[in-house]
Amino acid sequence: MATTEFDSHDRFATSSTQVAIAGIILATCLFILYFVVNTAMVQELLGYTQRMHARVPTFFVRLVVVIIAIGAALYLVTGLSVYKRNKVEWAPWLFLALGLGLFMIYVIIPIFQSMSYSFTKWDGLYDIDGNWTGEWVGLHNYKILLDDPNFYTSLKNNILWLVLYMLAVPIGLFIALFLNQTVRGIRIYKSLFFFPFVISQVVVGLIFTWAYNPEFGLLSEFWSWFFCETKENIMGNLTRVCSVDPPSILGNEHTATYGIIAAGLWPQIAYCMILYLTGLNNVSPDQIEAGQLDGAKGWKMLWYVVLPQLKPATFIAVVVTVIGALRSFDMIATMTQGGPFGSTNVLAYYMYDQAVGEGVGRYGYGSAIATVLFLIMLVYISYFLWRMYQDEKEAK
Amino acid sequence: MFPTPIEKSTSGKQWAYKLALPIALFFWLLPLLAIFMTSIRPASDIAVGNVFGFPSSFQLFQNYGEVFAKTNALQYLINTLLIAVPSMVLSVGLACLTGYALAIYRFKWALPLFFLFVAGNFVPFQILMLPVVDISVKMEIINTVPGLVLFHAAFQTGFCTLFMRNFIKALPYELIESARLEGVGEFKIFWYLVLPLVKPAIAALCVLIFTFIWNDFFWATVLLQEDSSLPITVGVRTLNGEFVQQWHLVSAASLLAAMPPVLMFFLMQKHFIAGLTLGATKG
Repeated sequence: MATTEFDSHDRFATSSTQVAIAGIILATCLFILYFVVNTAMVQELLGYTQRMHARVPTFFVRLVVVIIAIGAALYLVTGLSVYKRNKVEWAPWLFLALGLGLFMIYVIIPIFQSMSYSFTKWDGLYDIDGNWTGEWVGLHNYKILLDDPNFYTSLKNNILWLVLYMLAVPIGLFIALFLNQTVRGIRIYKSLFFFPFVISQVVVGLIFTWAYNPEFGLLSEFWSWFFCETKENIMGNLTRVCSVDPPSILGNEHTATYGIIAAGLWPQIAYCMILYLTGLNNVSPDQIEAGQLDGAKGWKMLWYVVLPQLKPATFIAVVVTVIGALRSFDMIATMTQGGPFGSTNVLAYYMYDQAVGEGVGRYGYGSAIATVLFLIMLVYISYFLWRMYQDEKEAK
Repeated sequence: MFPTPIEKSTSGKQWAYKLALPIALFFWLLPLLAIFMTSIRPASDIAVGNVFGFPSSFQLFQNYGEVFAKTNALQYLINTLLIAVPSMVLSVGLACLTGYALAIYRFKWALPLFFLFVAGNFVPFQILMLPVVDISVKMEIINTVPGLVLFHAAFQTGFCTLFMRNFIKALPYELIESARLEGVGEFKIFWYLVLPLVKPAIAALCVLIFTFIWNDFFWATVLLQEDSSLPITVGVRTLNGEFVQQWHLVSAASLLAAMPPVLMFFLMQKHFIAGLTLGATKG
């Protein structure tokens, strides 16, 4: 009896060696951190002032020390009696600490910071003492926003992106259905069709900028099949003479946005296709057979038997397409930089342009645009979370 | 039309299908093929309008060599690796921990915190941009590769946590419970029991996150300025300005930038698709 009591007591007792070791490491780390932050002091102590390329090394030293300190702190906590008694309640927070901390600092808190910037006038600078130089202006930025024609152009283009980008879902489904067969080499076809998604959007943008080039792009080549002929000029050189000049898609303010969206659809269709291909893999053959017995064929089969089973795939395809559409930035930055005459701006690009592009430095105004974009996105995010919540409840 | 398997149709149809496949693929990848052809032809071809015909001479090595010789392309590629690999390791590593915490422990914050990660993962970058710049300036890590790595690691932790949590949730819970009854410590359960079981998820996430970060353009433009630390996506954009109208070089550089993720995809196809299509089948 006595031994078991002793054991159970021992199991929950603070292990003093563990706490002591961890405590010493933690204290050392904090001490180093304090001094390394004062780089100048350390450099003076060591007798060299200019030799060290200060910033990156100190950062690394700090990072390593911080990591060791966190490790020591976690180790310390696990040695405490209070942790041992409430292991199952405390453990998740220890596992979460690092990831959640970093995510909070870099993602969650900045959302609210951005919102608060949107009520100020600020150029992103601090004065020499490190004081904030902005001023509080209330709703001023939002008032300007409502009178800004560029804002409406961007908003209109965002809606255009959202609507036209949705074409990726049915086209992706169509290609998936087309490829959903078992013939030799189909796997290679599937992965080659998926190719565009793997390529960086910047590269896709460059490819299409070139393809749209009216002088020697892909499109001008097709154009010349119908409208141009090659003639020998007086000098004896071959020149191309066109009855109608090829259009400059990205140079025309009425077509540029459509041109970029078409380019953006290329990888997005590939993404939707792969989602549907995976979905089709899991369509139950029994239900298909049952459908066939009931006389369902072609479109009817697709609509009433196959599509309902593809619902999860459709849901994800719609979500990623909406997010892709609202995040469109890389393509615009590579293909037109918002031009011609601001006609291809979307909120994402316009915000960037106002805040840091062209040296404008309108942090407050940029944040107001970002907040509007965020609120639009929030509608979709909430819907997505709500759907996930329903799934979770069902799972329980 | 689906779902008639092609083997059951007439042989004529089968032939038509087998013929249609390469044709469709050709048109689908036409922009890519065309840019590849451009990248191996001499500049003179483009000048005289021979953009699609047979190249007058093959300059595969000359053109790609010129990209490396005339620009910092090699440096850009190395920088991208220096950004992508540590970010990938950090975010996947952190997500193993957070995913485990959110999947295994049944505390009341588990679901709200999980949703926080999911929601954060979907926000537009622009709402994060200025505060992140501000934090980086304050920590004196703006314009440095570690600064960008830290941000990428933090942001991608959102997606990785979503993935990991769902993956771990699907593991048999009894396994963990019985280990706990045996008196195995919480961290030991994670390290020796769960981690070996989630290896496929780790592989899928690594491939995916590597590609995401390799292709990142926005954050590199925002957080890096010095030419010597730029990644390839930004580098290629800059080259586009330098090589005005030298499309054979621009296309070669673009294809160079696209190469590593493409290779990654082909080598790790199964993992890549498993990662992307998470959730597309359940329910």
